[in-house]
Amino acid sequence: MMLWKNYHLARNLQDALEVMAAAQRESQSASLVAGGTDLLLDVQQGRHPPVDLMVDLTAIPEMTVLEVRQERLYIGAAVPLNRLIANPLVRQHAEALYEACSLIGGPQVRNTATLGGNVGHALPAADGTIALLAMDAQAEIASLDGLRIVPVEKLFLGPGRSALDPARELLTGFSLSLRQPDQGSAFRRVMRPQGVAIAILNFAAWVERNDQHISQVRLSIGPAGPTPLRAHAAEQVLTGSPFTPASLEKAYAAILAEARFRTSPHRATAEYRRHLARVLFEETLTTAWERAAKTQSGQSG
Amino acid sequence: MEINVNGNKIEIEPQPGEMLSSLLRKRLGLTGTKIGCDELECGSCTVLVDGQPVLSCNYPAARAAGKQVITIEGLADLYKPPSPGNSHSLHPLQEAFIQYGAVQCGFCIPGQLMTTYALLQRNPTPSEADIRQALKDTLCRCAGYPTIISAIQAAVHTLNTGEPLPPPQMPKTEAPLEVIGTVQTRPDAVAKVTGSALFTDDLQFEGMLHARAKRAMTPHAIVRSLDVSKARQLAGVAVVLTAEDIPGEHNHGLVIYDWPTLVGVGERVRYVGDSVAIVAAETWEIATQALDLIEVEYDPQPVISDPVQASQPDAPALHPKGNLLKHIKVRKGNMEQGFAEADVVLEHTFHTQITDHAFLEPECSIARLTEDGRVEIYVGSQIPYSDRSQAARVLAVPEDRVRVLGQLMGGGFGGKEDIMGQIHVAMLAVATRRPVKLLFDRHESLLVHPKRHATQIRVKVGACRDGRLTAVETELFGDTGAYASLGEKVLTRATTHSSGPYEMPHARADCYAMYTNNPPAGAFRGFGVTQSAFAVESMIDMLAEKLEMDPTCWPATSHSAHARCQGRLICAAPGVSLRRIKTPAWAAAHQTKPAPRWSCSPMALLRCAHLQLSWDRAW
Repeated sequence: MMLWKNYHLARNLQDALEVMAAAQRESQSASLVAGGTDLLLDVQQGRHPPVDLMVDLTAIPEMTVLEVRQERLYIGAAVPLNRLIANPLVRQHAEALYEACSLIGGPQVRNTATLGGNVGHALPAADGTIALLAMDAQAEIASLDGLRIVPVEKLFLGPGRSALDPARELLTGFSLSLRQPDQGSAFRRVMRPQGVAIAILNFAAWVERNDQHISQVRLSIGPAGPTPLRAHAAEQVLTGSPFTPASLEKAYAAILAEARFRTSPHRATAEYRRHLARVLFEETLTTAWERAAKTQSGQSG
Repeated sequence: MEINVNGNKIEIEPQPGEMLSSLLRKRLGLTGTKIGCDELECGSCTVLVDGQPVLSCNYPAARAAGKQVITIEGLADLYKPPSPGNSHSLHPLQEAFIQYGAVQCGFCIPGQLMTTYALLQRNPTPSEADIRQALKDTLCRCAGYPTIISAIQAAVHTLNTGEPLPPPQMPKTEAPLEVIGTVQTRPDAVAKVTGSALFTDDLQFEGMLHARAKRAMTPHAIVRSLDVSKARQLAGVAVVLTAEDIPGEHNHGLVIYDWPTLVGVGERVRYVGDSVAIVAAETWEIATQALDLIEVEYDPQPVISDPVQASQPDAPALHPKGNLLKHIKVRKGNMEQGFAEADVVLEHTFHTQITDHAFLEPECSIARLTEDGRVEIYVGSQIPYSDRSQAARVLAVPEDRVRVLGQLMGGGFGGKEDIMGQIHVAMLAVATRRPVKLLFDRHESLLVHPKRHATQIRVKVGACRDGRLTAVETELFGDTGAYASLGEKVLTRATTHSSGPYEMPHARADCYAMYTNNPPAGAFRGFGVTQSAFAVESMIDMLAEKLEMDPTCWPATSHSAHARCQGRLICAAPGVSLRRIKTPAWAAAHQTKPAPRWSCSPMALLRCAHLQLSWDRAW
């Protein structure tokens, strides 16, 4: 009945990993917790079993860093979302991520919720995850054996199931490329009600332009299947194409072919999601495209 | 661990599973921090941790180790007045909330103030948009947002300039009286902005037990068997009671005694919120565990999910007298003649849905025995005297052996008129001779208490080309759910108002108040007129479109114009008394701006004002 028996505030990565390993050896149930705004609520409401041990990651210095390191933007997995969106580096280099994180939860929730939790929960329509996919982010994963780097896209096995081994691995942070002058990104979502709930559909786009042509593009959508979706087929259609209604139309057809929209009883029909996919695709790609143009001409996006 | 709460260093060890809100409320006695939803939605539990507003209901107490926590009780001390000699007992935000009338039920106010204080720390000159954004998820159900925002703006002025709080801008009253027409502060406002105001769940009594009710969770069934023996054996459980333990009458109700206090074996469960057993235990957690040990078998029955279905001849009867609570009729003139005289006849069927009051304070009742053996019930109730008579019936004692002590109510809106936990705690206190508290969580609150009636309303109108109505015929099906509550009263008002505030020579209204297996429906602001006003005003808009007339001043040639325009004008000209608005010409003479078109009828607002005086002063 107790939500947890012991609560451990980990001091550093090593401490967190060792405590998790010890719990496993002693056959105790244990869970990592960052902000906890999803997990703790799930435990409180019986959607997740109570645990013997909660290992809190919010005080681990390595996980609360937000900086440019080795020519990439590094965001610690336990950085609270409000700190993330208040940081000008995020807005400068990853506008889609800034927009997505601004929409997660409400103002108070964002003071505790983290990007690591958003990704670790492995929901197919997590706003932060969808933005990270379009930004082609890399996830940094720590275990007692060391660090490994995995593209965020490879982290998901199914709804609520990540490819991490929860007993011996933890997501420590994300890194993404710094924005170049001809690049831009955007994120949009539609939900009901406009409050704290999961999106009916969300969409993120990143684009690099070469004058009026798309030289590179990345698109991501949720929920469009059991895991967060990168729309690779649509990206292929667009790469090298002029930015014209005809190109977008072809890409939209590709999105419909690769996305698996379904009807959910509380949120929307598949048909409505197909309709929204067109609207959000056009909006996000156009916004990203315009932002890329602004940086091309030397203005800040 | 060590935490700093409102400037005081405290050594305290977090307990297993403990959230910061529990530590503050239960162990430090800082009950100013409120629990409205306990699931990160409402903002009532907002406190500052290292300066950041967080929701303490979901913030592990252990995580606060070494951190600075500020609660509503510490807010006043954070203000350093510009001249050190001045003594200020309140923070300007608190002063402003009082003076600007931002404090109503008061339950959300600690959360509003703490969220706002944090906003002003990072942005001392917020725009209105900044304020709205910061308070986006700090809900006020009394709809005090305009006063909350103006109060914050006034406090910002004082904080930035050191000047006294600018007085609220009020519409000028031509002839103010001693009280009417002058700014008055609520008597309880100071307590509500400092966190010292006590709501029922804030009360603690020595040796108090915690109760929970076993809900049927099935909409329609007969209880085949009920076994509470395992629950009774659980360590920490003081008592488990079932229908067999009811000393007096089994049923309670506001008008009709049709609502079982507990559903017994062989008896009928009529909605998911019916209770079959009640438990009192040393802790809420143990009581919850005990619920899981109660074994109940049900024989499921066909479910009636809407009032039209309930009226069918082959529908199963939910109550001994059938499913019809009441057939309410209005008759005037001759309908055939009325429609024959019409140039245009329109007919449409409208539907309205169940609505929850969503008061921020979930239901809570406490009962205890006095030394002379009387039962005291502490509850934030809209009708405490009715609670007393209903409890006395079930306890089989004279009414003067039951005393109901009305507590502050964190919003009611009609949703706190019915018996929720009052009788259950009284029975448990009598059985254990110890104080007993029963607090609903938000899920239970949504599930159990009566709602706004869902309706199906058919409206048929006949009108002349100039807009005069010749006849209005309405047929209403009202879903009063499993029990009557105030269904008959609410739907009578829905029926009598179903032709709107118009003059017509011929009218006929029939309302069928039907029992179903939905949650009971009862009082809710508007009291039935919300539903019928929606239907008839929508119909008038359709008629206006058909006749190519202006629906905002409809119809200009008949007496009813005054009524309809009155509704619009009241919204357009706040501060103007009803009596002053006689004709549309008055509006022109006073240069009142044309009222905007309303998505819902302003008549509903008019009725609210009227009803507040007539039915129940409490909401």
